[in-house]
Amino acid sequence: MIFRQRLCQSYWHCRKIVGATLDGFEFPARHGCTMTDPAEKITLDQWDDRYRDLCRGGLREADYGGPLGRHVEAHGDRRLLRLRMDNSAAALRLWNLLLSEEDRLHRARAEGKFLLGTMKDLGTVPVMAYALEGVLAFYPDGAWWTPCLMEHSEGLLALADRLGIDDSFCPVRAMLAALVDENHFPVPDTLVCSVGATCDDVAAIAQRIDELGFPVFWWEIPHRRAADSGEPSVELPGGVRAPVAQVEFVRGELDRVRRHLEERTGQSLDDARLAAGIRRANQVRRLLARLRHFAYQGDPSPMPALEMMIAEVLSIHYCSDWAETLSVLEDLLAEVRRRLVAGMGHGPAGAARVFWVNPPADLRAMNLLEECGGRICGTDYMIAHAIDLIPEDVPPLVALARAALADPMVCSTADRAERIVREAGTSAAEAVVVSRIPGASHCASESLLVGRIVARRLGLPVVDIEIPPVLDAMEPTIRARLEALVETVLARRNA
Amino acid sequence: MIAAGIDVGSRTLKVVLWDSTRRRVVASAVADQGIDQDALARRMLDRLLDEHDLARDAVRAIVATGYGRKLITAADRAVTEITCQRWGVRHHVPEARTIVDIGGQDSKLIRLDGAGAVLDFVMNDRCAAGTGRFLEVVATRLGTRIDALGRLAAVSTAAARISSMCVVFAETEIVGLLASGMAPADIVAGVQTSIATRVAAMGGRTIEPPVVFTGGVALVPGMAEALAAVLETPVTVAPDSQTTAALGAALLAVEK
Repeated sequence: MIFRQRLCQSYWHCRKIVGATLDGFEFPARHGCTMTDPAEKITLDQWDDRYRDLCRGGLREADYGGPLGRHVEAHGDRRLLRLRMDNSAAALRLWNLLLSEEDRLHRARAEGKFLLGTMKDLGTVPVMAYALEGVLAFYPDGAWWTPCLMEHSEGLLALADRLGIDDSFCPVRAMLAALVDENHFPVPDTLVCSVGATCDDVAAIAQRIDELGFPVFWWEIPHRRAADSGEPSVELPGGVRAPVAQVEFVRGELDRVRRHLEERTGQSLDDARLAAGIRRANQVRRLLARLRHFAYQGDPSPMPALEMMIAEVLSIHYCSDWAETLSVLEDLLAEVRRRLVAGMGHGPAGAARVFWVNPPADLRAMNLLEECGGRICGTDYMIAHAIDLIPEDVPPLVALARAALADPMVCSTADRAERIVREAGTSAAEAVVVSRIPGASHCASESLLVGRIVARRLGLPVVDIEIPPVLDAMEPTIRARLEALVETVLARRNA
Repeated sequence: MIAAGIDVGSRTLKVVLWDSTRRRVVASAVADQGIDQDALARRMLDRLLDEHDLARDAVRAIVATGYGRKLITAADRAVTEITCQRWGVRHHVPEARTIVDIGGQDSKLIRLDGAGAVLDFVMNDRCAAGTGRFLEVVATRLGTRIDALGRLAAVSTAAARISSMCVVFAETEIVGLLASGMAPADIVAGVQTSIATRVAAMGGRTIEPPVVFTGGVALVPGMAEALAAVLETPVTVAPDSQTTAALGAALLAVEK
C-alpha cells in the first residue's frame, strides 16, 4: 500500500516535471526488468552477473543479444572496460545493437544485400537507401568509435598515418584504415559523400579513400545563406530559412544521388518509395524526440548520458537495422517511463543541468559528467539532420533538400549558436559544455565562438573542453573542469 | 575554530590554517611536490600545528583543492581550484571581477559577477605555453633560476618576439635568438609577454577589472606588469598569491 502511494506521488511528480502524460505506460515487467530494479551504472564485469540475473528473470533478446563481455573477448573492445553502463535490459539491447553492427554488415554481404557507405549526407542518403529493398546504408566514419573503444590497440590510426592522413585530421580518419584493412566492415558496394559546406576533414579523407581505389560518388552541399533582398526563400526544419534557389540546387544534387542508387541497385527509387522512406525516418525521429524529452527532463535523470548519446546516434543510420532501432528506442522509452513512474533514476534529484554541445571523442566523458555531479538536460551532437522531422507535405527530394540545408553544419557558426541558445534555453540548462574533437576542423574555432555567444545570450557558465579519443591521461583536468562547472551551478542556485 | 585548506598543485603543495573566530590566517606553508602527496600534506599540517602549539583535533574541518585534491585522506571534502580561488581572492579583494591564476602547469581565468559569484572560467588545454613551466624552461636554457628572471627582464630594452604557440617550439626559438646575439634580458621579457598573451587570449572576451593575479607565477617580478600591459588594465597581485586557493579552501571548510 505504501509502495502504491509512493508510486502515485512519483507519477504526479513526473507529470509535473516532464509536462507530458505517462498514461498508457505498461507497468508489467518487460524483458526481465521488474519495477523494483533500481537504476544503476555498472561496469562490464558487473554486467556479467546482471546478465545472468536478467536471463533468470525471463530476458527476451534479439538475435544479436548476449552478454556484453563477448565484445571484449571477440573484438578486443577494451575501452568498454572503462565505461559505466546503465543496468537495464533496454540498455543491454542498445549496446548489443551498437556493437554488433559490423557482424550485421558482414551477414548482409553474405546474403547478397547491397551495402552503401555514406558520409556527411546530412540525413538524406540513409533515408533513400532504406526506401529500397535489400539495401543497407552505414557510416564508415562511424569507425572512429572503433579505436575509441579499442584504445588504439588495433592500430587503425597508425595505419591512417601511413596512408597519409595523420593526427592533424579528425579521428574519423580511422575509416580510411578500416576500409583498407577490411577487418571491420565489408567494403561497401558504393560510397557516397557530400562536399562543400559540410566538413573539410571528411572531404579530405574521402578524397584519399577515392584515390586508394574506393570510388566515391560526390554530391555538393552549399553553405546556407540568407536570401538576398527580394529573393524567394522557404522555411526549413528547425525554423530557419534558405533561398529557394539553394533548395532547388540541393534537390538536383540529391536527384543525382537517387539516379546513382537506381543504377547501382537496379531498383526504381520513385517518389512513392522515397516518401515511405521519409515516413520511416520520421517514425524513428518522433520516437527519439519522446525519449529525449522524458530522459532529459525527468528528475532524477532516468537514463544515463552515455546511453542517451548512443540512442541519439542510432537515429542517423539505424545501426544498419531500421526495425531494430525502433525496437531499441521503444524499450529505452519504456524503461525511462518505468523509472519516472517509480521515481528512480541516476544520481540525485536536482543535479546540475548541463547542455552538451558536440559529441565527445571518448564516450567515457559522458560518464565523467555524471560522476562530477552533472546531468544532461539537452544536447547538440551535430546531428540535427537526424533529429528534426523531415517535411512530409512536399515532394520527397525537396523535403530532403530542405532537411539537409537546415543542418547547422552548413550554416554560419552564429546560426548554429542560435539554435543552441534556443534549445539550451528551453531545456532549462544551467550550464553548457562545448566539447572539442582534436583535429576536427569544424571544432577548431567554432567551439570558442559558440561558447562566447551562448554565454553572452544566456548568461550561463560555459566550459570548452577538448576530449581526445582516449581521455585517460586528460581525465584529471577534464574532471576538474566539470566539477568546477557543477560547483559554479550549485553556487549560483544558492546565491 | 581552526580550519585547514590544502592545495595540492602540480608543482607545490600549500597548506593554510585559518582561525575563523579571529578571522585571520594562523599559519601557511608551501613545499615542493613529492610522490606521496597525502603524506606530504600530513607532514606539513602537523608541522604547522606543532609550530603554533595546536593539537591535531583543533582543526575542525579540512578542504582539499588542486589537481591532487582527491588524494588527501585527511580532507573532509574536495573542492576545485576555481571555487577556492574565488573564495581566497574575494577574502583579500572583495571587489575583484577577474582572477588570473598561473601555476606551474596550468593557467586559469575566472570571471566573477558583481556579487563575487563565478560567472564562468577557462583553463589552458594540454599546452604549457601559458604556464610557469614556460618560465622554468627559459630559466634552465639561460642557466639561471626562475626567481632571477624578473630582475633580468627589468633591464630589457626591447622585448623579443616569441611567436611559437608551444613551449617546445618556443625553446627552439629561444636557442635561435641566443645564437643571433639577442640579450637574455630581452628574451625573458619576450617570454613574459608571451605567457601573458596566451592567458589573455584564453579569456577572449573583455576583461572586467579589477583583475587579481594569483598563483606561483604571480611572484615572478615583471609578470604582473606584462599581464597588465597585455590586458590593458591594472593587475593586482593577490597577497600571498601562492596560497590563495589554499586560503579559499580553508574558508570553505568553515562555511559548510
